[in-house]
Amino acid sequence: MKYRDIRQPNYRHVGKYSPRKEARELVTGKALFLDDFSLPHMLIGRTKRSPYPHARIVKIDTAEAEALEGVRAVITHKNAPFLAGLGWPVHRLVLEPKVFYVGDQVAIVAAETQEIANEAIDLIEVEYEQLPAVFTAADALKEGAPQLYERFPGNLVDPGCPYFQPDGPFWQVKRGDPDKAIAEADFVAEDEISFSKMPCPLAPEAPSVIVRYDGNQHYTVWASSQSSHIMKLLMQAYVPGSQIDVNTFNVGGSYGNKQTMLNAAVSAALLANVTKRPVKVVLSKAEQLMAYEVRLGSTIKATMAANKEGIVTAVKGDWLVDTGCVCNSTQGQIGVGLGEAQLVLAKCENWFLDSHIAVTNRQQAGIVRGYGGQELNSCLEKLLCAIMKEGGFDPLDVFKKNYVSHGDKYVWRDGRTYRSRSSFFFPEVMQQTAERFGWSEKWKGWFKPTCVNGTKARGVGMGVIGNADIQEDNTEAIVRIVPNLDVANVGGGSALVVVECDITESGMGQRSNACKVVAEVFNCPYEWVSITDPGTRHNPSNFGLCGSRGTITTGKAVSEAALDARRQAMELAAIKLDRAVDQLEMRDMEIYVRDTPELRIAVSRLADRELSIVGYGKHVEKFDCPSCIAVFVEVEVDLDTGLTEVVRLAGGSDVGQIIDSKALEMQLHGGIGSASLDTAIFEECNLDPSTGRLLASSLIDYKWRTFNDLPRYDGFVMESQIDTFMFKALGIGEVTGAALASAALMAISNAIGVDVKEYPATPAVVLEALGKA
Amino acid sequence: MATRVAVPPKSSELVEKESISLTINGRRFRFSVGDNMGDVSPAETLIETLRQRLQMTGAKQSCGTGACGCCTVIVNGDAVASCMTLTVEMDRKSITTIEGLEDPAKGLDPIQQVFIDEYAFQCGYCTPGIVMVAKALFMKNPRPTPGEIQEALAGNFCRCISHYTVLRALNKLAGNDNAELSHFVRANDLVEDPIPVAEELYPSPYASGQPGKRALD
Repeated sequence: MKYRDIRQPNYRHVGKYSPRKEARELVTGKALFLDDFSLPHMLIGRTKRSPYPHARIVKIDTAEAEALEGVRAVITHKNAPFLAGLGWPVHRLVLEPKVFYVGDQVAIVAAETQEIANEAIDLIEVEYEQLPAVFTAADALKEGAPQLYERFPGNLVDPGCPYFQPDGPFWQVKRGDPDKAIAEADFVAEDEISFSKMPCPLAPEAPSVIVRYDGNQHYTVWASSQSSHIMKLLMQAYVPGSQIDVNTFNVGGSYGNKQTMLNAAVSAALLANVTKRPVKVVLSKAEQLMAYEVRLGSTIKATMAANKEGIVTAVKGDWLVDTGCVCNSTQGQIGVGLGEAQLVLAKCENWFLDSHIAVTNRQQAGIVRGYGGQELNSCLEKLLCAIMKEGGFDPLDVFKKNYVSHGDKYVWRDGRTYRSRSSFFFPEVMQQTAERFGWSEKWKGWFKPTCVNGTKARGVGMGVIGNADIQEDNTEAIVRIVPNLDVANVGGGSALVVVECDITESGMGQRSNACKVVAEVFNCPYEWVSITDPGTRHNPSNFGLCGSRGTITTGKAVSEAALDARRQAMELAAIKLDRAVDQLEMRDMEIYVRDTPELRIAVSRLADRELSIVGYGKHVEKFDCPSCIAVFVEVEVDLDTGLTEVVRLAGGSDVGQIIDSKALEMQLHGGIGSASLDTAIFEECNLDPSTGRLLASSLIDYKWRTFNDLPRYDGFVMESQIDTFMFKALGIGEVTGAALASAALMAISNAIGVDVKEYPATPAVVLEALGKA
Repeated sequence: MATRVAVPPKSSELVEKESISLTINGRRFRFSVGDNMGDVSPAETLIETLRQRLQMTGAKQSCGTGACGCCTVIVNGDAVASCMTLTVEMDRKSITTIEGLEDPAKGLDPIQQVFIDEYAFQCGYCTPGIVMVAKALFMKNPRPTPGEIQEALAGNFCRCISHYTVLRALNKLAGNDNAELSHFVRANDLVEDPIPVAEELYPSPYASGQPGKRALD
């Protein structure tokens, strides 16, 4: 099939740019974020944090803090009103008689003002007995290593996550005979690669939450969470016997990282329970950097083999994951990481890729855009590079040959096997994007610079990754056609459409996209469609916008709900107009007879007065339509200083059908941010080895990409109308940056002519590789 | 061009002040200075005054160290990090916040409008700060070069990476051609003689009576 043979629909809205529903509010400062909201009689909660990475609390004296005027509650492990657990499987409490990292909660305080709460924190006297600490997964698993939790002997976490893996744990890709395949291979590479600086996605809006206790173990939560549904699920698991409703606002960036915010949320619930007043907890930027969730640490020790065609034939090894001091369904990330590795190496039939998760005395690692796949890929692709170098292959050819095609099989995160029904055009996307980037002119071979100008050497690298999570989790939606009546005009009037759907806007534009596809189904102006505020109580169930799932799952639920409502409207109109449904047309909330357009009726007059027409739609989870993104990076490295500048980027994908052109373009750009590209260039979280304390705890110390340091970006998008749902689209945002770090390291290695294996390739790393350190 | 300036402390003046008056978005406010309930304490920052005292929540309090620009307001024509500015230093100063940019009669400021037209935000949390820095720049220099725009915004943190569309919007406003850093190509635009030639032959599948009947599958 040729791309030009695919018939492209002429949509009224879909595929075009429509300004976001919140656009005007956002640019005028009226948009509400969590910290812009408050409840009457609200208290402020703050946390006393540990200065030690591992210690026993010998003595804790809260008398002075409690006596301070304006303090309403001081809670420690000794007086907590209920035992709130953390992690899967539960291995610790929110407040323990021990601390497990620098920043761990020792006590929580609720006070009338922030200043009083801060002062109270300082007045709490704590005596610690320091314990030996361990800061890497490899050290944590060694015999005799300091032990963190009784639940995890040897600091090894149990595999599997029942919510994601209902058939049983999935933590290994195991099939074929890797030993035999390695013995027979033309090219073999063996290495150990780490991506373990556990960088911070660093949303501009801090994790923040307000909790109100309503009695009878019922709590109402307002949160800066990207998914009210997930937050409800998790909080109910850790606040025993509770019934929780979660409401969200605009979210100031999340990148997968602000979902449950369990420490803050459960702390606020404890304080609200004790004080019987609403409690707001907003993390400071230092807390967000030092005491909140970062990327997983990831190390792979593996052997990879390929044949002379450049097809990878065997992967054998172990993936060691550092989850920090709490494992909160990291097992789900393992499942997706293993799945994405199989998408990239889809022709490989011989696997034994094992995984282990260790707890360490570092801050908790959690969910970040890329979800396991990025962390594993950043390691695994270095092995692939070694194979490609060995065989003298052009990476573009190798990725085109190995990436999952229509019909290829893989095991996804639930442990079940799927066969791809996705695009036929992924190799073409790679080729076309490469051409726009100028790959064939810039690629000079392995560890060969594109050009050298004085001390400045340029090099290029590329990567490919994809994700089958984009259809994950069941979701439902309701669409109502509401007659827009007033008392003076009960006989007519227009009709509006309300989409009931629990999705929170954290920047992807999916709330507007939901309205857009509904407007398409009704053939009415986009402005006539609105969506309910996000929240778990007043909306049908939706897992939220994670894993790029919004496009397909929400898109399918809302468009089917709209179709259901539309069908009912047509049937009612057929009776009123005395015609068959197939003679009718619908436009702008009027239904008319195709051949006699003057015969028409307003949709608002179809149902009985005051009544709406209600449609229902749902999506049921599956994993058979993986996405794909090919990325290209050109860097310029100063051979004297070791400083790397990214000079050009490109990204290409077949997304099936664009829902909103500008939103998609920014999803491609977004891959640069949230601890992605720059984890290969300058972004890292380093601990002081003697104290275990994070060295960069402010936005001045932590490095981030600025407006005056932007490379050119070339985006290329195909729309091959993939059979996912009515609008034939795929989600892509999760992985747009997932292969950028490995591509950047490839580019740096090529620029300087030496293989660089360490993330990030800071000037010190580059100079060491060059033998100039 | 640097547009963010530090407000010099004038501590000798402050000690003697019993009250301060400042103008915010054209409205004059007078506050008592002191430690009593309701007074502006000498430690109160401008962002606290705006957000907590006056309920102007458009400027965001994010990093608290003047690094991210989310709290930017315009003080006497300069973009200022309001988290690093003491309110007592604002005596007799004129402050414009994001809430003051839209003219109730004339509508949105051109910067706000071009941000909507070009979709120059994602999560929108850093947007008020970016808009205010841009406003201060354009007030001083209505035709900044692409480089001047990038330098002016260098202190604004954006993690969604809306940088490309922000620059596209501001370069459009400044009349800078060929300043584009992001090139987005749709394969469909490259297809010669594409199949869906006429909208009347292939309308939206949902424009007809029964969806699916003339839909593409």
